[in-house]
Amino acid sequence: MAQQANLGELLSTLDSPVLSERDEVTAIFKENLNADRGPMLVNTLVDYYLETSSQQVLHILTTLQEPHDKHLLDKMNEYVGKAASRLSTLSLLGHAIRLQPPWKHKLSQAPLLPSLLKCLKVDTDVVVLTTGVLVLITMLPMVPQAGKQHLHDFFDIFGRLSSWCLKKPGHVAEIYLVHLHASVYALFHRLYGMYPCNFVSFLRSHYTMKENLETFEEVVKPMMEHVRIHPELVTGSKDLELDPRRWKKLETHDVVIECARISLDPTEASYEDGCSVSHQNSARPPPRAADVTASPHVDPQNSFGSVTSTPHSASRPMSSTPGQPPPPLSSPAPRLSAEAPQAALWSPSLVCGMATPPTSPGNVPPDCAQPYSKAFGASGGKGTPSGTPATSPPPAPPCHSDDCVHGPCPPPTAPHARKEERTDPARPCLHRQHHLPNDRGLEELPGSKELPLSDLPGFLGGLASEEDSIEKDKEEAAIYKELSEITTADTEPLVPRGGFDSPFYQDSLLGCPRKTPSATAGAQGTSVHPESFNSSLDKLGPDTPKQAFTPIELPCGGPDESPAGSRERQTPPEPRILTPSPFRVPSQRGAGLSSGQPPPYDHLFEVALPKAAHHFVSTKTQELIKKVPGSSEGAWVPSASPLEVLDRLIQQGADAHSKELSRLSLPSKSVDWTHFGDEIRTLRNQLLLLHNQLLYERFKRQQHAVRNRRLLRRVIRAAALEEHNAAMKDQLKLQEKEIQIWKVSLQKERARYSQLQEQRDTMVAQLHSQIRQLQHDREEFYNQSQELQTKLEDCRNMVAELRLELKKANSKVCHTELLLGQVSQKLSNSESVQQQMEFLNRQLLVLGEVNELYLEQLQNKHSDTTKEVEVMKAAYRKELEKHRSYALQQSQRLDTSQRRVLELEAQLAKKDHLLVEQKKYLEDVKLQARGQLQAAESRYEAQKRITQVFELEVLDLYGRLEKDGLLRKLEVERTEAAEAAEERPDCCNNSGSGPVRGHSDAVSGHNGETRPPRPGSTRGGGGSGSVGSGSSGSSSGSSQLSTPEKPPAQRAGPFSSRWETAVGEPSASIPATVGSLPSSKSFLGMKARELFRNKSESQCDEDGVTGSGLSETLKPGVDAGVEAKTPLSPDGPRPAPPSPDSVGQLRIMDYNEAHQEHS
Amino acid sequence: MTEDSQRNFRSVYYEKVGFRGVEEKKSLEILLKDDRLDIEKLCTFSQRFPLPSMYRALVWKVLLGILPPHHESHAQVMMYRKEQYSDVLHALKVVRFVNDATPQVEVYLRMYQLESGKLPRNPSFPLKPEDEVFLAIAKAMEEMVEDSVDCYWITRCFVNQLNKYRDSLPQLAVRGGNVMSWEVSNLFLFHHQPKAFEQYLNLEDSRLLSHLKMCSAVSRLPYDLWFKRCFAGCLPESSLQRVWDKVVSGSCKILVFVAVEILLTFKLKVMALNNSEKITKFLENIPQDSSDAIVSKAIDLWHKHCGTPVHSA
Repeated sequence: MAQQANLGELLSTLDSPVLSERDEVTAIFKENLNADRGPMLVNTLVDYYLETSSQQVLHILTTLQEPHDKHLLDKMNEYVGKAASRLSTLSLLGHAIRLQPPWKHKLSQAPLLPSLLKCLKVDTDVVVLTTGVLVLITMLPMVPQAGKQHLHDFFDIFGRLSSWCLKKPGHVAEIYLVHLHASVYALFHRLYGMYPCNFVSFLRSHYTMKENLETFEEVVKPMMEHVRIHPELVTGSKDLELDPRRWKKLETHDVVIECARISLDPTEASYEDGCSVSHQNSARPPPRAADVTASPHVDPQNSFGSVTSTPHSASRPMSSTPGQPPPPLSSPAPRLSAEAPQAALWSPSLVCGMATPPTSPGNVPPDCAQPYSKAFGASGGKGTPSGTPATSPPPAPPCHSDDCVHGPCPPPTAPHARKEERTDPARPCLHRQHHLPNDRGLEELPGSKELPLSDLPGFLGGLASEEDSIEKDKEEAAIYKELSEITTADTEPLVPRGGFDSPFYQDSLLGCPRKTPSATAGAQGTSVHPESFNSSLDKLGPDTPKQAFTPIELPCGGPDESPAGSRERQTPPEPRILTPSPFRVPSQRGAGLSSGQPPPYDHLFEVALPKAAHHFVSTKTQELIKKVPGSSEGAWVPSASPLEVLDRLIQQGADAHSKELSRLSLPSKSVDWTHFGDEIRTLRNQLLLLHNQLLYERFKRQQHAVRNRRLLRRVIRAAALEEHNAAMKDQLKLQEKEIQIWKVSLQKERARYSQLQEQRDTMVAQLHSQIRQLQHDREEFYNQSQELQTKLEDCRNMVAELRLELKKANSKVCHTELLLGQVSQKLSNSESVQQQMEFLNRQLLVLGEVNELYLEQLQNKHSDTTKEVEVMKAAYRKELEKHRSYALQQSQRLDTSQRRVLELEAQLAKKDHLLVEQKKYLEDVKLQARGQLQAAESRYEAQKRITQVFELEVLDLYGRLEKDGLLRKLEVERTEAAEAAEERPDCCNNSGSGPVRGHSDAVSGHNGETRPPRPGSTRGGGGSGSVGSGSSGSSSGSSQLSTPEKPPAQRAGPFSSRWETAVGEPSASIPATVGSLPSSKSFLGMKARELFRNKSESQCDEDGVTGSGLSETLKPGVDAGVEAKTPLSPDGPRPAPPSPDSVGQLRIMDYNEAHQEHS
Repeated sequence: MTEDSQRNFRSVYYEKVGFRGVEEKKSLEILLKDDRLDIEKLCTFSQRFPLPSMYRALVWKVLLGILPPHHESHAQVMMYRKEQYSDVLHALKVVRFVNDATPQVEVYLRMYQLESGKLPRNPSFPLKPEDEVFLAIAKAMEEMVEDSVDCYWITRCFVNQLNKYRDSLPQLAVRGGNVMSWEVSNLFLFHHQPKAFEQYLNLEDSRLLSHLKMCSAVSRLPYDLWFKRCFAGCLPESSLQRVWDKVVSGSCKILVFVAVEILLTFKLKVMALNNSEKITKFLENIPQDSSDAIVSKAIDLWHKHCGTPVHSA
């Protein structure tokens, strides 16, 4: 609650007249709103607003941020349901919506929309309806997709309201109906623009009904006359136009413009195409048509022209006058002087679909600049002026561009006509003038059109500085209204107000000033205007503290001073401002109310409203100006816009009026004020309606402005492109020129080249001819030289020949000389020969004589010598023959001997060969024999073994026999021989029973032979047991055999016979010798071994060798050795005899062969 | 020349078709045609190829020195041998060591004993181990050679050769230091056959050897049967004679490979037996059916490890 109380306090302070306080409170609220997300604060604010309709609260509410929108909408929904608060809620909603809050898309889902529709369908209060419809129309473009759900609600509402217009339920005032009609018309436009197919089908279905036919005829049909066929009717369909995709592409202002486009109403659609201008004019109400036609036609075009042509002129000069690059500065000259050309210019901007609006803001600067430049001769001074306007438009134009649509044309012309017509020229000045020090301070128009911002400050500043100012204003306004009421008709006491706050005025005012500067500058006394501008600018430049508003302020400051100087001339602009309002209103009205209805209260605006307003405003401003020349600048609230100011003005006016009324009514309540009160209420309502409409229009205008901004951007871009294009073209031209220059030079060069070529050709030809000639010469020379050479050759040949001849001749000479010498020699020789011949001849003669003499002698001695010679010859012959035969003999002998030698040699070789063969054969045979011998030897060995075995056996048997005998003997001799018994132990000790007996035998038999047994016994000890026993046995058994073996060395002869006997049993003795040999006598053993080893060899070899070998060792008895050998091998005799034989045979054979061959 | 070329071009086909004997027989015949037989060549031949049975006795006799290399003296020498045989036999009969009822093998043994001077005093004396060896060899030889004289002689010389290898070892080992010829190494190996056997068995199948070692059967293997009796009584005569071909020609090493091959052939069975006695018992009485394969494989193995003997001359 404390908070609530606190809130209440705060709210109350919100409307405090102290600006700073108010700002603080506003800031506090905003902070709270930011901090608090609950609905409470918003609800309180809404409540407070509905109670007090405070501007500050409205401001806060309309700028609510996102989270609070829901609460606001809920709250409003709640209040819309209540009839009492419905109107104010709707106006609040209107305010909120018109600002296009970020949450506007939520409206379609909000419950507020259905409730609004419901109230529109149900409510019967015209004011509420009108307000609601306007709100709805405003809302529609923002939530186009909502149409899908509520389309039929919209149509129902349209049907209901349109029928309302006709049926006029009794209690509804006619005046209200007009507003309603206007709003219905707007609704019609909107619906037709947005949903043509659906809407048309609705119209068809709805108005084919009989009961509605009248309504159609009266109300709808005229409306339809002012729209063209919507293209969607052809291309679209019911479903297609409800498709959200269609709306997604379009922004709010796009939708608004779309709707405006289909309008035939010049005011609505004027800017969309060029015709609109003329339309506008033609559409004007007849009464003013004359005025309008007179001037507007020229002026609009003028203004348009000047405005629109600027780009052209700017661009055109560019192309036409290349010398001056900056067209904007140079172009003005022709344009300013001559209007005609401008009229002719149909700018591309129009073609582009850009009507006036963009031009005005965009072109003003250049226009402004031009005048300045004109005035000051395009000097450095231009900088600032041209700069400032240039900067100014951007901020300002958006707001006003819209106005230009309506405004531009009429203002220039109207003023004059109007001024004359209207009795009070000052009236139209409206609030513009109230800022101005004097009514005619219209040269500010340039500034004043931006002024909305600038004068408001001034105005507000006044408000701020003087807290009472508003109240005073109100009071004064009230007073004036009173006055006006008194003066004017009672029926329309409030008209001034309606007119006062009608948007048209403002619009027109705002619009014209904008244009005027340029227009006036261009068309009228340019010299003056610029000056004023300049002066104002120059002066203001330093004064105005705010740069942002400089352009706006210029007028503000300007007015203060400039008026003084330029008052007389400023007159023309003044009327201009006046004019618009009448035009605007009528035009709109006319359009809105259709042609059939002459604006019933149009004039009221003009007549009634201005008065009060003028009075109020003028006084107010005067006061303000008096009071706040300085303070206005200090207490400046930047946020206030001219529109707000207007709103506030209306509001305050209304407030003042109501206060006045209340004040008045208080005392006079008793009187029949009731009726008056009714009137007042109706008027108030009307005022409200008008305000609403104004707001709606303003909204539309804003949308236009948004669009214009966009278009402007395009224009600027297009212009830039165009310039770029032009520049390119220029460059192109330059390049073309260059190219041409180059071409020309090329041609020249070509010509030169050809000339040079010709020259060269001729030169070449000459040279060629020369060459030819020279070649010819050369050939000639060559030929000559060849000839000469041949000649030379010939000469040489000749010389050579001559030389040869010379040589020959020389040789001949020599030869002849030689011959000569020879001849001379011969000659001498022949001479000598002749001499000799002679001598010889003589000798011959002599000798012949001698010969004759000898012949004579010879014949005498020839007979006795021949016999002797013949004998001798014969002897010699015989001797020769003898020798010959002897030689023959000798040679024959030699031959034979040689042959013999050869034969012998062959025989020798043969013999050698044979010898080798024989050797081989011998070897072979040897081997063979050895093999056989080995076999034989093995046999012999076997035999030896056999004999051994046999011997053993025999000995064994003997042993047994003797044992038996001994036993017997023992029995016999046991008693007799004691000696034998003594010896026995020895024998028993030595070698068993057998040897003992043998030993005893030997001892008994041969005393001398006791030696041999001893060695035998020792042998037996050294040899193996069996052998030893064997040997001992043998020695004992064959004592005769063994004894002779050793004796032979001592007494070979006597024992040889015994040997022979022993031959019969040799095998028994042999083992003994073999066994005894090694051990008994080393050298004998050696021999024996040698013998055994080399038996085969020794047998093959001569006996002598062995004999000699043996003889060396066996000195004593060679014969015995030989003899001993033969018995050694019992088989030996057999092979031995043949082998010597065979050897002998071989030898013999060999010898024989050799002998035979030798012999 | 013609003979040579004939042999050559045919041999290719014989080899291919698998008639190994034909060519060998022919070449052996050629060898035997020489008047003075080339002992070396015959040795090499019998080492490389199996001898045809019809020439086996002749070749053995020649190789063992029973017959001289000259054909001329063959008859005479053979006569000597026969006489010797009959003499010895007669002597034995005389000393009543042998009678008609005495088995032929024992007769051979007594003859051998007589000829080597080892005849016991009494035939009832117990036999020495070497006599047992002789008996076994003689028994096998009796099957191979029909003629009793031949049989006796071959057996005798065969045993003598074996003994000669054994006896001459120390001498050879001394000499063998610098020149280890084929025969020398053979001789050397003859006495180290158990060791060589282990070595080759390890090369061929180490697992088997380790198994044997594990069973401590290595030292108890029937080495006497294998290396002293030359598998007489272990292998059937038909396959045994192929082994003896090699032994006669001077290669004792073949015995080692036969032993190795026997073990390899009966590896599974041997591996299955854990007891050394059982192993020995089994090896002493190996089945006879696979003996031919064993011998063939053993010869291959022998060729593989020792290379094919080439006539050095």
